[in-house]
Amino acid sequence: MTASSSARSLAPSGTRSNTPRRHRRILNLTAVAAVGVMVLAACGTKPSDKAAAAAPTKPLVVGISLPLTGDFSQPGGEAKRGYEVWKSMVNAKGGVLGRQVELKITDDASNQDTVVSDYTKLITQDKVDLVLGTFSSLLNYPASAVAEKNAMVFVEPAGGAPKMFDRGFKFLFFAQPATAPHQADVFVDWIKSLPESERPKTAAYPSQDDPFAAPVIQSMQKQLEALGVKTVFSSLYPADTTNFQTIASAMASKKPDLIAQGAVFEDGVGLVRSLKQLNYSPKILFQTSAPGNASQYSDAVGMANTEGVFYTVSWNEKAKTPLNPEFVAAYAKAYAGAIPAEDAADAFAAAQILQAATTAVGSVDQTKIRDWLHANAPQTILGPLSWEATGAPKGQFLLAQWQSGKVDVVGPADAATTTTVVNPKPGWK
Amino acid sequence: MTQLLQALVLGLLIGGVYALMASGLALIFGVMRIINIAQGALLILVAMFTWWMWRETGIDPILASVVTTPLMFGFGWILYRTVISRIRDQSASMSVLLTFGFALVVEGVLNVVAGNRFRSATPFYFAESFTVGPISLPKTQVYGFVAAVLVLAALYLVLTRTWTGRAIRATSQNPSGAALVGVGAAGTAALAFALGTATTGVGGSILSVLYPFFPASHYDWISRLLGIVVLGGMGSLPGAMVGALILGLAETLTATYGGLRWSTLVFYLVIMLVLLFRPQGLFGAKLREDAA
Repeated sequence: MTASSSARSLAPSGTRSNTPRRHRRILNLTAVAAVGVMVLAACGTKPSDKAAAAAPTKPLVVGISLPLTGDFSQPGGEAKRGYEVWKSMVNAKGGVLGRQVELKITDDASNQDTVVSDYTKLITQDKVDLVLGTFSSLLNYPASAVAEKNAMVFVEPAGGAPKMFDRGFKFLFFAQPATAPHQADVFVDWIKSLPESERPKTAAYPSQDDPFAAPVIQSMQKQLEALGVKTVFSSLYPADTTNFQTIASAMASKKPDLIAQGAVFEDGVGLVRSLKQLNYSPKILFQTSAPGNASQYSDAVGMANTEGVFYTVSWNEKAKTPLNPEFVAAYAKAYAGAIPAEDAADAFAAAQILQAATTAVGSVDQTKIRDWLHANAPQTILGPLSWEATGAPKGQFLLAQWQSGKVDVVGPADAATTTTVVNPKPGWK
Repeated sequence: MTQLLQALVLGLLIGGVYALMASGLALIFGVMRIINIAQGALLILVAMFTWWMWRETGIDPILASVVTTPLMFGFGWILYRTVISRIRDQSASMSVLLTFGFALVVEGVLNVVAGNRFRSATPFYFAESFTVGPISLPKTQVYGFVAAVLVLAALYLVLTRTWTGRAIRATSQNPSGAALVGVGAAGTAALAFALGTATTGVGGSILSVLYPFFPASHYDWISRLLGIVVLGGMGSLPGAMVGALILGLAETLTATYGGLRWSTLVFYLVIMLVLLFRPQGLFGAKLREDAA
């Protein structure tokens, strides 16, 4: 499946996007927050406008199109917050290249055609100095083509579908530690670290037919089969599947030790509920992104049932990476004490990457920025990132696990926030 | 055998809930030739309201429909009188535009007021099952089914045993004939719309327990419901029920025997096949206007 064809096939189903990183934890008081954003934006731009008027240098304009309405409005809004927090933090320290940063953010309504015209306009008519990526593979796929055609460096915060990186693009960079097929590597490493006798003997691999979820699970299945874990169930289900009892009973009858599900959100919740209704609890449960939805996940499956569930993630608010605590604090200050969503963190990291390169080369020369990024590993709140020639990152995701109602990072060892790993998963409560 | 039985029973339970959700859509189209695209959004609106009541008061989400149903009846009546009635003499396509617009408004308001995040009511029994021999029946699904059957039975009684119901059916079958014998078209239409909207009171409450939802979930639901209504025959209540059961069974049987990937596709294949031979749907009546 190509990213574009999947994009088309997903489009009619509407709400179920191909983005596992959507629908993160959100403020209960979105209305208040929305007003807050406006107020903040107003407060934020006015002084800098004045500063710009007074200062001899023009502001550095960064053009971005985001899905602020439509299917991806939730993660799109988070990405916007990530970019805005970055802008405020950078401007407070004098901007980039001595110029105050100005974000020119347009709304592409989660639409592929609009995102193309947005970036075309930003680059060719508005002549922005730099561009940053949009949200989801669906939108970044066509958007990155516009940037490539115009020789603009395109650092994108969310768009790890494999097809993004087989087009031979030279200006594309993915601001997360790994593409979809490598996001479960850290989980496989953990299984490898177990003594042979404790490793799962059998595994079931249900996955939503989604360009993010499916490659993660398929790659995991391949790696675990090589380790001798027997596959007893493997199947893709369509994005608009709502009832999971049938899938759950088919799997439960095979009694797998490990269930690894490519779960976007509703499907992850649906499967957990159905497994519990059947009273089948696997020894190990892995889901790609559903468990990363914080309280939305624990509310929907019941807090007690989250215990021991694994998932992989690009970022964690407790991570000790440089600037991460500052980012978390600035975000909380700007948005009524909220914890940033992963989408916001990824956007922040994308901006950090572009900032590092621009500062290092001392200009907005796109070719120089591109070459610098290929030769260096800029530090971000996700850790240092570096890239293959295709723009695919070379790093590793974090292995996270629900423990006593909270999420902890359990791998890789150098990023872990705890040494405890809940294994085997306790039964359903 | 167990597998088949399990798939059949589950399909039936799922289909029953779908039937309730689709009944309002069928009723409204049957009487007024209005395709109410907002039906899905109203389901989500009720689900959100139910979730909120459940969280605040601990009231059982499915029982909460005792509150939400009359509320939605009133809401539907007001909506018809203030907005929908203005396009009464226009074509059905106008109703699609208007109600789609209304659906977007509901989605937007929910986004702002309730937040763009997933919700799901989880009463204590949400992940428990009844076990009958080798078959396991999720309690939520059973309760939802029972509530759906009760409401559909009540709807049937209203439509067949009360003057209002007979007036609604008469208007649906022959508007001018009904008008000739003294059935007020405007009042009947408002009542039918209100009744159709009231079904979302129960449907949405059940939805809040069975499926996680967020403001934009209504697109999924309306497409499913439209499929059911088209298969059953636009405007036919029995058709909507049969269509819903076919959808439920198609989902579970295909997932059990045909492979998960096909589970949602098969239903639409069934629709296409049926429409090839019965363009009016399974139970749809051919209208004289259609022939002309």
